[in-house]
Parts: sequence; C-alpha cells; structure tokens
Amino acid sequence: MSQGIGLSMFEIVGSPLCVASDDGQKVYERIAAALKEGRSVTLSFLNVTGLTSAFLNAAIGQLYGSFTEEQIRSMLKVEDIQTDDLALLKRVVETAKQYFRNPKRFERVVREALGE
Amino acid sequence: MKIPFGSIEHSQAGFEALVRLYADTKECLLEDIEIDMAGTRWLDADMCAAFGAILYRLGSTLNTLRLTNIPSPVETILSKNGFLGSYGRKTIPDTWGTTIPYQRFNVRDDRYFAGYIENEFVRRSEMTRMSVGLLKKFRESVFEIFSNAVVHSQTLLGIFSCGQYFPKRNRLDFSVADLGIGICENVRRNVGLDLGPEQAIDWATQGRNTTKRGPIPGGLGLKLLTEFINLNGGRIQIVSDAGYWRLDKGQAHTARLGGPFPGTVVNIEIDTSDTRSYALSSELSHSDVF
Repeated sequence: MSQGIGLSMFEIVGSPLCVASDDGQKVYERIAAALKEGRSVTLSFLNVTGLTSAFLNAAIGQLYGSFTEEQIRSMLKVEDIQTDDLALLKRVVETAKQYFRNPKRFERVVREALGE
Repeated sequence: MKIPFGSIEHSQAGFEALVRLYADTKECLLEDIEIDMAGTRWLDADMCAAFGAILYRLGSTLNTLRLTNIPSPVETILSKNGFLGSYGRKTIPDTWGTTIPYQRFNVRDDRYFAGYIENEFVRRSEMTRMSVGLLKKFRESVFEIFSNAVVHSQTLLGIFSCGQYFPKRNRLDFSVADLGIGICENVRRNVGLDLGPEQAIDWATQGRNTTKRGPIPGGLGLKLLTEFINLNGGRIQIVSDAGYWRLDKGQAHTARLGGPFPGTVVNIEIDTSDTRSYALSSELSHSDVF
C-alpha cells in the first residue's frame, strides 16, 4: 500500500495568514499532485491564524473539479484545525460541490483543462 | 477648475457627494483641479478609501490636485490617517491609535494587506477592548472584502482601504474601494444577466450566486460577510457603479445613486461591544468535512 504524505499549509504558504488565492493555488497543486499519484494526504492547519474563502476555494474547493467526492473523502484528511476554521472549510466544500454540479461551468473547466 | 466639496459621512448621502465629485471631474485631463474643502465640516475617516480612489484616478490622467481650505479638525484626522500625505501635507502621529491608515494596494498585494491589518490594527493594544472572537471575525471579514476586490474587480489602478475605530461609541468603520469594472458589469459579462446596478449588488449577496467561472469556485465571501454583520448587529454598505446597497439590522435596502462610482466600495460598521464568542459549537468532525 502506498504511503500517505503530510502537507503543512504554514510551510507551503510561508505565513500564518492563508488569505491569498495565489497561495491557495500552491496548496492545491501539491494536494492534486499527490492524489494523482494515488497518495493520501493529511493537510495540517497548525500555526494558521487567518483564512479566507478565496484561499480555501483555490486550495481545496477546486479539487472537486478534478477528483470525485469519493476520492477526496477517502484520500484527504485535515488536522490541527480550529473549530470555526473547520466550519468555514465545510462551507467552502459544500459551495464547491454545488459549483461543479453546474454543467456549464464544468464543461468550461474541462475545456480549459484541455487547453481548448 | 475649482470644485466645492462638502461633508462626507459614512452613509448614502456621503456616497452621493463622492459620485458627484466623480461626475464633475471624470473627463479632466492635464488640468489643475482645486477641491475646496471649506464646507467639509466632517469627513468620516473610512470614506477616505472611496475619496482617495477617485482622486487617484484623477492623478492617473495627469491632473494636478490641490485640497484647499480644509477645516482644522478635518485636516487633523486626515493627517493622522496618512490621507493628506499624498496631497502635500505631513502625516502626524496617531497618539490614540484609533486609525487604520489610508493605503493603496496593488491587486497582488493580498499578503501585504494582511500584514497591514495585523500590524496597524489587530496587534495594537487599543484593540484589547474587543473580544478575541470578534477581532478574529473582523479580521476575516476585511480579508474577504479585499479578496473579493482581488478576484472580481479587474482593477488596474489598485485597491484602497481606510478605517477608524471609535472606542467611546463602540464602533469600528472600515472601507475597501477599487477602481474595477463593478459588480453590474461583472454579472453581465459572466452570468449574462442584465440587471440594474443596485439589483446586481443584491443578486451578488444572495444564496449561491457567483460570477466566478473557471476551475476555482467562488460565491461565499459576501455571504460570510453579511452573516457576520447580521450577527454583530452592524451595518454594511456596498456601492458599485450607480448602485447603492445597505444591510442594516438584517434589512437590505437598495437605491440608485445620482451617478456611478468608478468601481466598487464595500464599507462595514461593526459594534465593538459585541461579546459573542463566535466560536462555533459545531458538531462537525474532521472526518465528515469532505
């Protein structure tokens, strides 16, 4: 069985303030690369003191455009996250699921991914 | 060109005065513009964000700006928050530590903005009057407002912010303004809805509505902000193009201004005496978040 990997948001972003969409993109790229390799990921929120929905949409929300809910549920875990930040993450996840249920948006995402 | 300029309050009337200033000057190019502030008896400091955005745009078309006859109390406020530093005055120290200085940011300055909020506001000893939970929610809210401007505005001239804390009145005002395409145009381009400017703002605050397209989802920032303001009992005002939208005590109010603002302004007013913990006693567990 392949080994899971641990990712630290604080380390990837280089700051306790995880607020910028661009920084969220860096987190997304690491998670997506690991999931594509079939590795499970534990994402640590240790030392994170500020979060925005824009950051979480980029870091985690967009995973729902590339992976199935089942894949994400079985392969991604979070730890060291405060209760209110977990509630925000849940809102982002629900919004992302809804977002990718809209076929027009989804088709566009696929087209963009294929470079069309 | 000489333009008389009156008082600017943190209200619909204040925004009306600012859009009049924009209408009177928007065609100016290479002109000498004197803004005569003799009639400015009061200027709510956070409104410097929107005022500064209009003046910055005028500067970008190579106009020379002069702010004259500023009454002394107003000049003191605008020197303490650094606003007049851009217009030929020295800034003066804010001994009470209640200003969040006027500042302009570029769209890729999210981290710099976050540092500004931390250093100029959150870490200051005066803020111990606010509960830890409220301070965190306030900080998250202003980050959300800034992110909204970064993600949606397409501004080329930057994002402007300013705030003021009134400890005796238990009130904190904060504004973010951008010189982007505005909510109405964003909704038209990305969603294909042809709404009036105030209707477009209302649309953007509802349910799961979002103008986001592409691989990164969106549509949560404004909802989080309005939820917080409703719980806190504060107020939020949004001006975009000629649209005015206000949420006050849970009630939304819209109006059409006399002219457009050249971008979007989001301005919040929070009750700093609010002792709600904001720590959710959620039953969420780490395992059911995805």
